[in-house]
Amino acid sequence: MANLPPGGDRRSPQVFDRRRTTMVSGHLELLSKMSGHLAVTLNLDETIQKALDLIVKFVQAEGGALFLLEEKYGTLLCKASAGPVDIRGIRVKIGEGIVGHCVTENTSRIVRDVQQDADFDHTIDESTGFQTRSIVCTPMIVNGQKIGAIELVNKHTDDGLFSDTDLLMLQTLASAAALAINNAHMAEELVEQERVSRELELATEMQRSLLPVTPTDRFPVAGINLPANEMSGDFYDFFVLEDGRIYFSLGDVSGKGMDAALLMSKTASLFRCLGKTILEPNVLLATINRELCETAIHGMFVTMACGLLDPKTGIVELANAGHEPPLIHARDGTFTALPASAPPLGIMSLQAGDNGIREETFNLDGGTLYIFTDGVTEGCLEDGSRLEQTGFQDIMRERCDLPIAARIKAVVSILSDTGRKRHDDITLLAIEDTRPELRHHASGDWPRMVARFTFPARADALQSVREVVNDACETCGCVTEDATDIIIAVGEACQNIVRHAYKGLDEGDATLEIYCEDGILEFRLQDSARPIDREKMQPKWPKELGPGGLGICLIHDIMDKVEYLPPPEGQGNLLRMVKFIKRKNSNET
Amino acid sequence: MKHEIVEKQGASIVVFKGEIDLDSSPAARKTLLRCSDNTGNVIVDLSGVTYIDSSGVASLVEALQAAKKNGSLLSLAAVSEPTRRVLELARLDKVFTIYGSVDEALAGKG
Repeated sequence: MANLPPGGDRRSPQVFDRRRTTMVSGHLELLSKMSGHLAVTLNLDETIQKALDLIVKFVQAEGGALFLLEEKYGTLLCKASAGPVDIRGIRVKIGEGIVGHCVTENTSRIVRDVQQDADFDHTIDESTGFQTRSIVCTPMIVNGQKIGAIELVNKHTDDGLFSDTDLLMLQTLASAAALAINNAHMAEELVEQERVSRELELATEMQRSLLPVTPTDRFPVAGINLPANEMSGDFYDFFVLEDGRIYFSLGDVSGKGMDAALLMSKTASLFRCLGKTILEPNVLLATINRELCETAIHGMFVTMACGLLDPKTGIVELANAGHEPPLIHARDGTFTALPASAPPLGIMSLQAGDNGIREETFNLDGGTLYIFTDGVTEGCLEDGSRLEQTGFQDIMRERCDLPIAARIKAVVSILSDTGRKRHDDITLLAIEDTRPELRHHASGDWPRMVARFTFPARADALQSVREVVNDACETCGCVTEDATDIIIAVGEACQNIVRHAYKGLDEGDATLEIYCEDGILEFRLQDSARPIDREKMQPKWPKELGPGGLGICLIHDIMDKVEYLPPPEGQGNLLRMVKFIKRKNSNET
Repeated sequence: MKHEIVEKQGASIVVFKGEIDLDSSPAARKTLLRCSDNTGNVIVDLSGVTYIDSSGVASLVEALQAAKKNGSLLSLAAVSEPTRRVLELARLDKVFTIYGSVDEALAGKG
C-alpha cells in the first residue's frame, strides 16, 4: 500500500472525481496501448523503454526511471530512463534511496518534497544537476516475485505534486509493465536456450564430422561412437598412409562436459595432424602428450591407444597410454588383453621407449584387435548387470563370422537398447586382418573355383598341368608376367609331388584346384602320398651353387603365401599357394 | 623338347627348343654333360626354350660345374624371356655368362 502523502490531497472531491473518471478511461486506453506495444516486442530493453515512456507521458511526470533487481548483487540497475537526464546504468543498493526502500519494503511511496525525506539520496541529483522535487515510486512484482521498481519525478502540473490517483495509476501500469518485462525476459531466455541448443547441435555435428568414414565394407578398420549426451569425450580415428598402412587411434578424455569434448577434439586433431609424419605409434603418443601437457587443463587427462596396421602382412604396431587393455581375438577363438605400458596423456612428461610408452608389435594373423572405452565394459545390460570383458568376448565370439562393422554395431545395440539411461559414451574400434588368403572357404561363396584338374603324378603329366594353369590365368585376366611366374611356381610344386612325395614311383594322382577372386589367385594342390617332412619344404637358398631345393625357393619367391593345410581326408598333403595378381584391365580391382 | 648340337669354331653349340621340364630335363642334362666333358667350350642356345623348370636349371648348373672342372667354358646365348625369368628368380643370372646371341658368344670367347 501507498504511504500517506505528507501534505494530504488538497483538491476538492468533485474535481477529484471528474479527474478520476477521465484518468480511468485514459488509464484503460494506456493499458490497451501498452499491451498492444508490448505484445509485438519481445526485446527486453525495448519493452522496458516503451513502457516507461508511456507511463511518464500519461502520468505527466517530468522524468522517470525503471530499475530492475539484480538479486545476485543486491542492487537495482536503471534499465530505462525518461526525461531531461539519462540515468541508465546507474545502480542503487537495495534498501537505499527511495526506490531502494520501496523494493525492500515491497511498498509504494509518494514523496511530495524529497528534501524533507530522510531516505532520499541526493547523489544522483548532485551528479546530474537535475533537481528532484517530488517522487512517486512503486515496486514491480510478478507472481509474488520482485523484479524491480518504477520511479517518476516532478509532476508537470502547477504544484508539481503527485496525487494518490497518480500512484494508483502507476501501480496498475507497473503491474502491466512487470508482466510484459517478465514475458520479454522469458522470451529472451527461450531465445538464449534456443541459441545454446543450436550451438550444441552444431558442436555435436562438428564433433561427429571428426569421426572417420569407413571407405568400404571390406576395409580392415571400423569404429563406432555413441555419446551419452550431445557431446562426447571419446574419439576414434583412422586413415591410410601413403605406404598403405592404416593408422588408427581411440581415446577417452576424463570428464564428460563441454571441456572434455573440446579436449577430445584437440587430441583427435593432434593425432590426425602428427600421425601423417610420425610413423611410430609410441613416439606419436609421446608427442601428443607433450602438446597436451604444455596446455594442460588442470585435472584433465586422456587415455589413448593408437597403432599401425599393415593390411598386406597383418602386422600391428600398438602403443597404449593408460587406456583400457585392447583385446586380440585370434583366429583360434582365444582372447588376449594388451595392458597399457604408460600412464594417461596430459599428466606428466613421457618418453617413447621401454621406460615410457612402449610399442608392441604382433601379427594379427587373421584375428581382430578390439579397442574400446570403459563405456563398453561398464555398460549396463537389460538386467542391470555390467557387460564386462567376458560379456564383450561372448558377443564377439558369437559374431566372428560377421563383418567387423556389424560386430561393433551389435555391441552398441545391446548396450543402448536396454531402456536404461546411459551415463557414459560407448566407443569401439575394430581392426581386422582381412587378408583374403586367410579367409575360410566354408563361409560364403568366396572364392570362385576356376579349375580343378586331377593328374597322374608323373613327369609327362606336368605339361598338361601347365596348360590348365595358363588357361586359369587367362580366365582371371592375369598379366603375362604374373602368368609366367605362376606357371613356374605351380610347375615346381607339381614336380615336387612327382619327385619327392611319390619318390618318383608312378603310383598316385594329384589334384590341383584353382580359385580366383578380386585379383587373387589361389592354388590348392593335393596328393595322397605319405605326409612329407615340412621342415624340408622350407626355402633354403643354397650358400654354394647347387640345385638342391631350388624349386621350393622359386615357389616361395613367386607366391605371396605358401602353406601346408591339413588335408581334408586326413591323408596326403595339401599345399596352398596364393598370388596377388595384376590384371590386364587396370580398371578392375 | 628338341635339341641339336652344332660344332663351330671349336665350340659345341647346344640348341634347345621347346620346354625343358622334369620330363625332358634328363635328356637335356645328358646332352649338356656330354658336351661339357669335351675339352672345347660349350655355348647353350636357349632362344627357342619356352619353359624351363628347376630340373632344367639344375642340368645347366651341373653342366657349368662339369665344364669348369674340365677347364672349359660354358656360356648361355640368346636366352629366351621365360628362361631369363627363371634364372633371375633362381639368382643364377649372374652365375652364368650370358651372351645376346651365339655369334656374340663365339666372339666373346675369342
